[in-house]
Amino acid sequence: MEKNWEPKILAFLCNWCSYAGADLAGTSRIQYPPNIRVIRVPCSGRINPLFILKALQAGIDGVLISGCHPGDCHYISGNYIGRRKSATLKRFLEYLGLEEGRVQFSWVSAAEGGKFSQVVDEVVQDIKKLGPARRFVKREDLRGQGVEGSRKNILNT
Amino acid sequence: MKLRLDKKDFKNFLQNLIDEYDLYAPVQLTEGVSVFKKIDQPGEVNLTQLHTQKPAKDVFFPQSEVMFRYEKVGKQNQMISMEEGKRERILFGARPCDIEAISIIEKVFVGEEYTDVYFLEKRKKTTIIGLGCNHPLSTCFCSSAGGDPFLRAGSDLFFIDLGEAYFVELLTEKGMAFHKNKFFKEADPKDLTFVKELEEKAFEKVGFSIPVDGIEKRLDLMGESSFWDRVHEKCIGCRICTYLCPTCHCFDMVDEGEHQRGQRVRHWDSCLSPLYSLETSGHNPRPTCRERTRQRLMHKFNYFPKNFNQVACVGCGRCILYCPVHFDIRKAIIWTSPKRPKRYERGMI
Amino acid sequence: MEERSKAIQDRIREKAKELLSKKEVDLVIGFGEWTLPLRTTPIFIRTPEGAEDLIWNSFCENNLAIYLHKFSQFKVGIVVKGCDARSIIALSLEKRFKPDQLFLIGVPCQRMVDRRRVKKAVKGEILRAHEQGDQIIVEGEDFNTTLRRDDFLYPSCQVCTHRTPMGTNVLIGDPVKESPLIETHPEIKEFEKKSPEERWRFFEKESSRCIRCYACREVCPMCYCAECFVDSSNPKWIEKGFSTSDLEFYHIVRAYHQTGRCSGCGACERACPMEIRLTYLTQKLNLDVRELFDFETGIKADTLPPLSTFEIDDRQEFIK
Repeated sequence: MEKNWEPKILAFLCNWCSYAGADLAGTSRIQYPPNIRVIRVPCSGRINPLFILKALQAGIDGVLISGCHPGDCHYISGNYIGRRKSATLKRFLEYLGLEEGRVQFSWVSAAEGGKFSQVVDEVVQDIKKLGPARRFVKREDLRGQGVEGSRKNILNT
Repeated sequence: MKLRLDKKDFKNFLQNLIDEYDLYAPVQLTEGVSVFKKIDQPGEVNLTQLHTQKPAKDVFFPQSEVMFRYEKVGKQNQMISMEEGKRERILFGARPCDIEAISIIEKVFVGEEYTDVYFLEKRKKTTIIGLGCNHPLSTCFCSSAGGDPFLRAGSDLFFIDLGEAYFVELLTEKGMAFHKNKFFKEADPKDLTFVKELEEKAFEKVGFSIPVDGIEKRLDLMGESSFWDRVHEKCIGCRICTYLCPTCHCFDMVDEGEHQRGQRVRHWDSCLSPLYSLETSGHNPRPTCRERTRQRLMHKFNYFPKNFNQVACVGCGRCILYCPVHFDIRKAIIWTSPKRPKRYERGMI
Repeated sequence: MEERSKAIQDRIREKAKELLSKKEVDLVIGFGEWTLPLRTTPIFIRTPEGAEDLIWNSFCENNLAIYLHKFSQFKVGIVVKGCDARSIIALSLEKRFKPDQLFLIGVPCQRMVDRRRVKKAVKGEILRAHEQGDQIIVEGEDFNTTLRRDDFLYPSCQVCTHRTPMGTNVLIGDPVKESPLIETHPEIKEFEKKSPEERWRFFEKESSRCIRCYACREVCPMCYCAECFVDSSNPKWIEKGFSTSDLEFYHIVRAYHQTGRCSGCGACERACPMEIRLTYLTQKLNLDVRELFDFETGIKADTLPPLSTFEIDDRQEFIK
């Protein structure tokens, strides 16, 4: 592991609750680790498991998916569907051997700026303990036909 | 030139080859599954299966091959061409059917006007050591397709397993370059008799039962036959037959990469895939499995013979062994002949 | 066993003949004998005389539900085992066909024989094989071996608890006692004993053999997407090459897309020419779905698939 490695974490935040919550953390000047990159989605139920897998493949060290609390979904039931998908995907990935804790989930409401920063803090700590992503990352082992270094471009921009 | 290699020297013989050449031989990936791979240790070679799942064409026409790379250097796009390794190569342990198939593919890839450089470079650099089939499988029908279990054509050296030793024949100029190999001894006259026995036994087992002869003409008359409505029924378009077929040679090219750098890669493709003939307009000239199965059989037994005077099937039997729904190409060939059994009329092909 | 098979075979033929004579169906899809030992082949019978070709034995391993997509414009009679009927119920939930398009001839399954393991148990090519009582007799050029049938069953069959097909129009034979031969799928048991690192290495090793032929996808009755995610170019999820990561991605997603839809028939694993273990993925998803949502694919024809619905009190202990 390189010294001073900082994990890169992708956070899929639902527009109506978690993204607003993150925004509130910002405007309230609550500090949280800068390791996350946010992707705003309409609803946590929009998350296609392939997003998570593609991110992990690209070398991202951790993924956080956050949505509205049950019962508060802007689209009524999106987060319930998302909850089922998350449960099955998380179990499956851990069964396969992907480290427990690489993919995490939370409910953060628009008023929970404090909770958001706490969640991010916890996630970053967990990922730091796990180390950089190694399994499943698309490396130059394209059977000897690697696209050298180009994978890094996705994360450096 | 007829020589012999004792089995006790085999490992050292292979190590010797590995030191000087890139050696490709059958390697077992798991019990019952083997492919041709470049080996680093003699112990990796596994000849327990009659033929590998992925055929020897993989060595000359890899399933996935980079054609060139490109990189943005400053504002310029730079193309980086691929180069073959410097060392000469040896293909060891390919059966006569696979070797015949390579010469079939060569007819397409090395033409009078156009040459596939990627294939040709590999082919030129490779010495082929064929291995005879002492125990052909019941699914083998190489002799019906113009070959035989001990066909020497296409091999530079030919090995036959005698039990405690290999019988070795040096056939071509490339093969003769091995005559000074320190592991080869003079062949014993008893070896020659044993070889003859093995050949006769194997040939008898394979026989001549499949009417491949004349199939081109028969298919000419079957353009709109109801045969095509039946033969495709159980096919699910899984493509295993085309990928494991030693003569199938269709490929697709894709560009992969982002912004700064990328590569153009070619992969095996299959005419049984609906996407194969799908046009940009959305029209698909082969919309259903019926057209695609017809295309496959016609290409192998009608179009290819028209262009190259040879049937594009070597009778290896892989498509029969590995088809998940047990499609048997021998049955399809038999049913093109006029003496169709009653079952055909009943709708079972 | 073989006496039971023969009796079932006769009744399947009778039923097919009846259906075709009365023109209640356009064709009957069942199993027939073909050239190789230890195997049967799907056959498509259109005339009453043709029904004589239908057979039933311990080598009827294909899931014939795949042909429903291909023959969707016909009225089809189809011979189904337990798992096949479950696939069909799952497909009907997804509205893939109209219920009056099918006539299901259900056969309580005696568990199918794993031909690959039989092949590996003998030295030399098997030229003939037949069942005798509870045994399988295989003959080659220079061997004649008797094997105990129950020692050579597919893992998906050993754990099966739904061998009697449900939702059928006619059931050939009596329903069988539903108890699995073994409680836990042997591969899942072995797999879960390993550490995460070991599990990933195993999965990596299995996927690395993949030649992207997509046979696993084509034999699966539940894989019927007009455009599969592997063929999508915008967004391009995976490339067509052989990067280990892409191979793993393909297998993870193909298995995951069966969550709550897989009947556990094992056709994917049987089709793979490179003998990649696949049922330890799909069976695990089935177990999870049963534990989390109390759902088993294809048992009830009126329960929505689990990922298309929800309960207010679904488990969420893993969510912060």
